[in-house]
Amino acid sequence: MKILMYSWEFPPLISGGLAMACYGMVKALLSQGIKIDLVLPTKEMVYFPLREESDADTMPAVFLDPIVQSRFIRKKFSTLQEKLDFIGISSHPESYFQLAEINEFLTVKADYWKSDTVTLEEHELWEEMTTHLQGDEDLMKKVQEFTVRAERFAAELSYDLIHVHDWLTYPAGMLAKKLSQKPLIVHIHATEFDRAGGPGDERIHKIEHAGMMYADLVIAVSQYTAQMIMSRYRIDTGRIRIVHNAFSMPDDAVYSKQRLFKGPTILFLGRITIQKGPDYFLEVAERVLKVHPSARFIMAGTGDMARKLLRRSAFLRLKNRFLFSGFLDRKQVERVLRASDIYMLPSVSEPFGIAPLEAMAYGITAIISKQSGVAEVVNHAFKIDYWDVDLMADTINHLIEHPEQCKKMGTEGKHEVNRIQWDEAANKIRAHYSALLADFLRQTGGQN
Amino acid sequence: MLNVVFYFQVHQPYRLRHINLLDIGHSNELFDTKLNSFVMKKVAEKCYLPTNKLLLELIRKHEGRFKIAYSITGTAIEQFKLYSPEVLDSFKELAATGCVEFIGETYYHSLAFLYDTNEFLDQVAMHRKLMVDEFGYHTETFRNTELIYQDRLSDIVFEIEGFKTIITEGVDRILNWRSPLYAYKNYSKDINLLLKYYKLSDDIAFRFSNRDWPEFPLTVDKFVNWVDHLTLDEKKGRNQFLNLFMDYETFGEHQWAETGIFDFMYHFPEEVLKRPHLGFATPKETTHLANYQQESLSFPEAVSWADEQRDLSAWLENDMQKNAIETMYELLFRVKQKGDEKLLKIARMLTTSDHFYYMFTKYFQDGDVHKYFSPYDSPDQAYIYYINALADLEERLS
Repeated sequence: MKILMYSWEFPPLISGGLAMACYGMVKALLSQGIKIDLVLPTKEMVYFPLREESDADTMPAVFLDPIVQSRFIRKKFSTLQEKLDFIGISSHPESYFQLAEINEFLTVKADYWKSDTVTLEEHELWEEMTTHLQGDEDLMKKVQEFTVRAERFAAELSYDLIHVHDWLTYPAGMLAKKLSQKPLIVHIHATEFDRAGGPGDERIHKIEHAGMMYADLVIAVSQYTAQMIMSRYRIDTGRIRIVHNAFSMPDDAVYSKQRLFKGPTILFLGRITIQKGPDYFLEVAERVLKVHPSARFIMAGTGDMARKLLRRSAFLRLKNRFLFSGFLDRKQVERVLRASDIYMLPSVSEPFGIAPLEAMAYGITAIISKQSGVAEVVNHAFKIDYWDVDLMADTINHLIEHPEQCKKMGTEGKHEVNRIQWDEAANKIRAHYSALLADFLRQTGGQN
Repeated sequence: MLNVVFYFQVHQPYRLRHINLLDIGHSNELFDTKLNSFVMKKVAEKCYLPTNKLLLELIRKHEGRFKIAYSITGTAIEQFKLYSPEVLDSFKELAATGCVEFIGETYYHSLAFLYDTNEFLDQVAMHRKLMVDEFGYHTETFRNTELIYQDRLSDIVFEIEGFKTIITEGVDRILNWRSPLYAYKNYSKDINLLLKYYKLSDDIAFRFSNRDWPEFPLTVDKFVNWVDHLTLDEKKGRNQFLNLFMDYETFGEHQWAETGIFDFMYHFPEEVLKRPHLGFATPKETTHLANYQQESLSFPEAVSWADEQRDLSAWLENDMQKNAIETMYELLFRVKQKGDEKLLKIARMLTTSDHFYYMFTKYFQDGDVHKYFSPYDSPDQAYIYYINALADLEERLS
């Protein structure tokens, strides 16, 4: 079985959890014999034919243009990074590719949707997507460009199913389905409601809606997300499947404690954006520090709320007890995890949330919001409403006062998350692939 | 008689390294040795050495009629010794002429007066001892960090044996109709007050090379004529004091040599001394030159010489500055209780006012000046490094 997969993020092209989730999922699917042609927002017109598990790390690439491809093959790269630079993947997601002419987008693409075979419903979804994929923002332009380029991959590659991740790639997926008539799976890692911590951008809702409606199957990363897409997007439950994310630790991870601070250390690790509830973390810190002035709170990561929270922590006079790490790379994340006792992620809305699992793997006691998908897969973590800062503060106070309980919870959590494996998730996805493909073949009578 | 009173502030802080969260607890060096050494050597070459040489020459040339005063912080002298000892030697040479007054202040150029009176007294005593040790000089004039002054300061300084004069900013809102050209008394008439004549001081310190300034270029002739005009208002024969106070780094550093600042300074004394009713004096001499009943001035609120507001806002305006300084003084107190001399030294290096100046956020009017002096990208970064330094120090303590 071969999948055409569009994704916006994949290591080393990382900006968040989406990259890590795709990586884990793809790797496990490859190990189960699924073949994947992966298309990413690269500068050059390349795709990644992934056939074996190790391909997820080595990233073999093929240029659509045969002349460039032969040049590429002859070229010797001493490192993977050198090769990726040639293809045009940078680890800074803002510099994917140069903006090309996209004025033709609407006129050229619209032709596909004017033929006699187009149903009214199909036409409406296409209209919904194209009329909302508009705007002068850098991101909108990039998505437009990605969609325009997606067409050639859809037309020139051969595959059985199309699998796309999050709204950025939904227009590409829709186009691919229209061109190839193959079934489309859209994977929801986060909706605009989650990211915005509120209504968010209307255009993105519409694109998300069109993508989900046009898809043959919608995979949600949690029950929480499934509820959200049923209630907010009115998607037919029959087409929704839940596959919880998993996570895997790198082989070279070091778990032993190595403190930075002698006092109890409480960690927030994630993007400092409204979705993750960093402001609640700050309010909790203020309450806890009144009772336990020797505690230290670390806000690790970057994001658009960092400055505001920095100023507010000063306003609240949290002294040198509320510290900011700035951007941390992989190894630095590990060091900050090894230095912490309690992890807290008070997300306002979290479709899944891999970061708490990672913290738990280090034996850190986790406090997660009830409004997060990850709460569905772990038991040995405190689950509290993100807005209930008093209860979160009380919980932390209790854990500080009873370090043996904190340690026990951490150890149990560690055992629990070590059992969550991508293989299990990939099994479910593979089963959905098979069922969908069987359905499709039955309907088309094996014509395709 | 109008006496030109020159006082130059000589200061270099210990700038902090970019201390990140993960650096905490490793007892790493907190201060940026490389940068501090670089700045000291650069300023020594561009300012301290050539300016000292020039002023020494002028003092010798005018045989006692040209006089100046310095306030040199402890952190500057320490860094002379570390990175540029020849600068300290040249100051000693100036001290030996007898035409130089050294002014007392806090050793660490700190804001201790506002937060911790005991620490303030300690730092003043340390600085006083330093002046005796290095220059054999007993200070009689006091200036607080950045000319910060209010009535309470005069009470404290008066209690310290030997200080007879305090110098501060000639703030309009205090002076109102009065002139900064006279020596005043503090509110309780205990101590002599000298006020900076900020217009003419800033003409040299800030506007000298500003091509947008209508008076550009500033010539010695023009400037001395302005000075001369100031004497016209005085009809009773009272001695006036034109207090030209500025950063020493004005010469060659803020105003580069190419602007002609050294030429200006070279010719200024002879032009002044050509006129019989003009001369030079040092701050401490004003106590017996004031041939009139000195009026007392009250400063209920703190003033300073910084920015347009001339208040404390350059260091203590926003919450980052306040949280940082409050945390620091609390920690300093605990370090003293522990009696760890090594940590006390570090804590005191963190009292230097520059650290809080870097956290100033009003980048619109005066921000340019702050930005020019800051070794960090933004006030937020300065704050983060400083708070991390305090966390590191605290971890070493407990």
